[in-house]
Amino acid sequence: MNGPVSVEQLGAELSQSLRRDQILVERAELRTYECDGLTGHRATPLIAVLPETTAEVQAAVQVCASHHLRFVARGSGTGLSGGALPDAEGMLIVLTRMRRIVEIDPANQRMVVEPGVTNLEISKAAAPHGLYYAPDPSSQVVCSIGGNVAENAGGAHCLKYGFTTHHVLGLEVVLPDASVVCLGSPMVESPGYDLRGVFIGTEGTLGIATSVTVRLLRLPETVATLVAEFATTADAGTAVSAIIAAGIVPAAVEMLDHLAIQACEAAVGAGFSLEAGAVLVVEVDGPSEECSGTFAAATAACTASGALRVRVAADADERRLIWQGRKAAFAAMGRLSPAFLIQDGVIPRTRLGPVLTRIAELAAEAGLHVANVFHAGDGNLHPLILYDTARAGEDERAELLATRIIQLCVDAGGSITGEHGVGVDKACSMPAMFSEDDLAAMLRVRTAFDPEGRCNPGKVFPTPRLCGERPGPYRPHPLEEAGMIDRW
Amino acid sequence: MPGGPPVAVGDIRPSIASPLDACIHCGFCLPACPTYRLWGKEADSPRGRIHLMRLLSTGEAEPAAVARHLDACLGCLACLDACPSGVAYDEAIEDSREELESVYRRPFAERVLRLAVFALFPHPRRLRVAMTGAVLAKRVRLPGLVRRSGLTKRFPFVAALEELLPEISLTELWASSRAGRGDGRHLRRSRDEMVRAKGVARLRVGMLTGCVQQVLFAPVNAATVRVLSAEGCDVITPRAQGCCGALMLHTGRGEDARRAARRLIDAFSDEGLDAIVVNSAGCGSAMKSYDRLLAADPVYAERASSFSAKVRDVHELLGGFEARAERHGLEVRVAYHDACHLAHAQGIRSEPRRLLRAIPGLTLLEIPDGDTCCGSAGIYNLLEPVTADELGTAKADSVRTTGGALVAAGNPGCLLQLQRHLGKALPAVHPIELLDASIRNLRPDALRP
Amino acid sequence: MVSSSTIHRPAGLRETRDALVEAARAGASVECAGGGASAPWAQGRGSANLVLDTTSLTAPLIHEAGDLTVLAGAGILLSELQAELAGAGQFLALDPPSARRGATLGGVMSSGDAGPLRHRYGTLRELVIGVTVVLADGTVARSGGRVIKNVAGYDLAKLFCSAYGSLGLVADLWLRLHPLPERRCTVRVEATAAEAGGLVLAVLASPLEPSALDFCRGACWARFEGTAAGTQAQAEAAVGLARGSGLEAEVLGGDEDAAAWEQVATATSGGAFEGDGVTVLRAVTLPSELEAADTALQRAGQGAGVQVELASHAGIGVHTGRLTGGDAAAHAIVLASWRDFIADRGGSVSVRQHPPDLDDPALLAGPPPPGLEVMRRVKKVFDPDGRLAPGRFSPWF
Repeated sequence: MNGPVSVEQLGAELSQSLRRDQILVERAELRTYECDGLTGHRATPLIAVLPETTAEVQAAVQVCASHHLRFVARGSGTGLSGGALPDAEGMLIVLTRMRRIVEIDPANQRMVVEPGVTNLEISKAAAPHGLYYAPDPSSQVVCSIGGNVAENAGGAHCLKYGFTTHHVLGLEVVLPDASVVCLGSPMVESPGYDLRGVFIGTEGTLGIATSVTVRLLRLPETVATLVAEFATTADAGTAVSAIIAAGIVPAAVEMLDHLAIQACEAAVGAGFSLEAGAVLVVEVDGPSEECSGTFAAATAACTASGALRVRVAADADERRLIWQGRKAAFAAMGRLSPAFLIQDGVIPRTRLGPVLTRIAELAAEAGLHVANVFHAGDGNLHPLILYDTARAGEDERAELLATRIIQLCVDAGGSITGEHGVGVDKACSMPAMFSEDDLAAMLRVRTAFDPEGRCNPGKVFPTPRLCGERPGPYRPHPLEEAGMIDRW
Repeated sequence: MPGGPPVAVGDIRPSIASPLDACIHCGFCLPACPTYRLWGKEADSPRGRIHLMRLLSTGEAEPAAVARHLDACLGCLACLDACPSGVAYDEAIEDSREELESVYRRPFAERVLRLAVFALFPHPRRLRVAMTGAVLAKRVRLPGLVRRSGLTKRFPFVAALEELLPEISLTELWASSRAGRGDGRHLRRSRDEMVRAKGVARLRVGMLTGCVQQVLFAPVNAATVRVLSAEGCDVITPRAQGCCGALMLHTGRGEDARRAARRLIDAFSDEGLDAIVVNSAGCGSAMKSYDRLLAADPVYAERASSFSAKVRDVHELLGGFEARAERHGLEVRVAYHDACHLAHAQGIRSEPRRLLRAIPGLTLLEIPDGDTCCGSAGIYNLLEPVTADELGTAKADSVRTTGGALVAAGNPGCLLQLQRHLGKALPAVHPIELLDASIRNLRPDALRP
Repeated sequence: MVSSSTIHRPAGLRETRDALVEAARAGASVECAGGGASAPWAQGRGSANLVLDTTSLTAPLIHEAGDLTVLAGAGILLSELQAELAGAGQFLALDPPSARRGATLGGVMSSGDAGPLRHRYGTLRELVIGVTVVLADGTVARSGGRVIKNVAGYDLAKLFCSAYGSLGLVADLWLRLHPLPERRCTVRVEATAAEAGGLVLAVLASPLEPSALDFCRGACWARFEGTAAGTQAQAEAAVGLARGSGLEAEVLGGDEDAAAWEQVATATSGGAFEGDGVTVLRAVTLPSELEAADTALQRAGQGAGVQVELASHAGIGVHTGRLTGGDAAAHAIVLASWRDFIADRGGSVSVRQHPPDLDDPALLAGPPPPGLEVMRRVKKVFDPDGRLAPGRFSPWF
């Protein structure tokens, strides 16, 4: 190998298999890919490609393999942990043009789709058959199924229905050596190791999924949604515990605190009361009789826990509006404060009250506002730390607060990430959850798939390059100071 | 309560210096954008364009590179509705296009093309002359000759223009130029026209005659006046009015747009106007933003503000009060097309539908994928004919699936685009023409013989 | 000092690790053993220098009832765990019949065993939220965590499910629990395989949410659980659906329901040792292939003079085929023929039990999975010297 390969040469080799409009070399265009939904980390790829078939993905990966080039795969670029952050010296492989729905098998409730198909498009295509795709991240209107697979995405309804890994049966994957392999199958299980299961949630570090076989569910007969208003988040937390203690498994339980409510109302006007300290959205679904019994129990649990008011959605439109409000929450924060950090910690549901209180205390200490929107049903918190870039030092204080909140979640017996993934955002916090041996064991799996470490490197696992010698409070590292990557 | 006393939104003051600051990169706008749906490229999505706009203003990107993607933006504003953060993309793209024009020297061919378009379309008189030429040329089969010469391949604009312009007779073309008469059948700005309300006047409104509208769709203007009058409006059509500047505003020619805006404000300075009625969505949305356009003008800022506050789309106005004139039956199946500058830019969706549904015998049909732009987008179909064609074809297919006999749209650009792609089999009309026909008890085939 | 076929029963994690470190130093091969309930199903078994008996790895046992999770040692008997959880009105949604034959948690994980409830709840793959494993070199590694919602790091538990001990020893598991339902009842519908096939698809397409949907002994069995009123309504709807297809249906509740499923589960989960000369096959297909799978098995059996019987988790397309009568060679023919048919439809067939003379490893194993190369590499990174579970997955490895 004589020095790094030039963009021209890469372009020339790629043009053997891809058209010119599929190969991006122009700087401004490449810069539009410099970050995903996590805007605090940016890097411009050396070159980017937009393949339209598995063979084209293979060709691109082969070019990378020939030149020992690192590469990163990207779907819709809505990830919140920087999983699609490009490598400044590598190739970005964008899957947004692979968006065909290949096959629908309504009787067996399966669908085969390309990785660029959005989560919602799957449900839309399934709807005429009375079916839908259950995992519903808030960004489902735009996030891609390929991205969902990488992150093992959840969503509000994963409390009852599980995550991506419970609904993806088979994958076609292009490995870093450019070979294509099928993991899993359309059947409910397949012989050998569960390679499909280990691939899902590895955040694009093991290969690129080029075809996804998903499991569909029948649309529930009845859906009942209520919005319960509470004076405090602690009261709402009590209601959540009461619901669980009653043996109810709702389809979803979401909580919004008063700041989040204000943002949602400004953006969507879903009808959440601006006076409430916290609001719970509880949804129950299933066969009619079962559903109404469970719903009554859930309503009673809310009332018994001090709900000031319980509103039941009267029809599908009202229900849709409620969810629109909830799902727009993150982005709606932009109206309050365009600069904010979204977190994704998980805690056992039994610790909701105390942890929320502690978060408020930490926020007050840092002099920052924290809005809370989250999946109360499974303990997945989403503290949104608001800060103003115009006020000196707020961004640093925000980062510090973020680290402290993550540690709080781990100390409470939870996790650093419930659904957004580790990416670059939380790689340095992995040692808070896992020992060196744990991480080493995971890295063995990575080696099995990607011996050269070229597939989305720098993600998930802490490295000295990313985290400094010892992970802890943020310290800029040489590449940032040299201006090669940005962070703000 | 955790976190202290309730915090009101106003306490947290975001430092938004430009519309771009509100973008948090969430990507919700991507699936709404027609060009992203076509090409799957970030740079041709609203989020990507915002990114490029930022790079342009910091000088980090080559204007030529940014131009390609900003030019490809339809300005349909579907992203406005999709954005949860309230990014004012319409303001952002206008500002950025103006900035681009000030730093970017376009290639010769592009400059010539734009010069030609702006020399023609905002000037009804010239447009009428040019159209006459086109009609005569068709008579001597010039288009065929031109096509065979390969000129259209080298200048797609020519082909686009030729295909876009409707079938219109010289009589119709020049009839509209004759001085307006009491029957209000054809209006032109020879002098301030006033058509009185039938019965007691409840409103005194000014009317915009437009550019393309008055030349190519004069019957729409005539119908508008008749309907307004029938519904109790005194309609004043100022003589001195010119182009509203929308085409310039949407293509980065800020100074030209401001000049046009000032002239139009002057033309409508009759103090007694309750509203300024517009039957062209693109024009109406531009006129509603004159307050922003002229905010920095010390002389016109306040006048622009009160002007904008009076602008009403004709459906909006009519939808605001009780119908007075009797609606006679009109047995016809009509597909309703939401013009982008009516639905996305002005949020006017329900009024046109309500007005049409109130016509007995009329069946209103929804067009699948109704939120997607037809590809007209002002003069986009002249500047980016290939993309416009793709979108126009897709829209025509969608319209045909409704099984309607007519398609109704509240914007001349859309009407041209729909006519071009649907042909005679499925004529395109303005909803006001349907209202007019209903009030005058005409038969459906009187609409587009 | 390790000699051939030594059995060691460590009392806890530290001892387990020490034993594996020692084995690594001595270059000894290691086999893990639980209750022995599913060990015979393993594809490929050699003899190991050291057998690690995991049945004493019963600690810790931490039941977080308020969060519906539990930490349990791999050596705990599944039946004991369920008894413990029932005290708080909860259960692990896993009902393999091997639980009645002394299956341990670790054993069930290693073999991927499950019962009819997998229709709704899945297997341990879906229920494990965290795992502690000990690798061939004695490394103790954890993945996942204590909460049901967690995507931090790689999910090693997935690999260890159904790995039959070839990647390492599973020491303890964090599990997701469910509340015990208020009521359970069953609808039994007399049906041939063809009728059952149609009924199953109809149930899948309906709003009904059975927790189990099996076919065996000439009947379709649908189990419903939930509130009293809810299960009642679903059962009635199911009966209506069956009658609408011209089939006879009856509702079983209370003790009848429990007793019925003991029998059905044994048939459809293909677990217990069935006697000499019996071959038990497991096949997986799409749910719509029930009738076809049955017909193909019947045809193969007739052709080879072997008696065949099909029992299925019909709702998910997991089948158990039993071959009795005829000799090993005849069974081999049936196996090969059925496997060809199933493979043609995208499925696969494995062997749970076979007569000793039916011993062709390639025939027993069937074709290797498409991801074999990756599978080999995964094995290599976890067990570079190939000392764990000797012979496992041969002839693929």
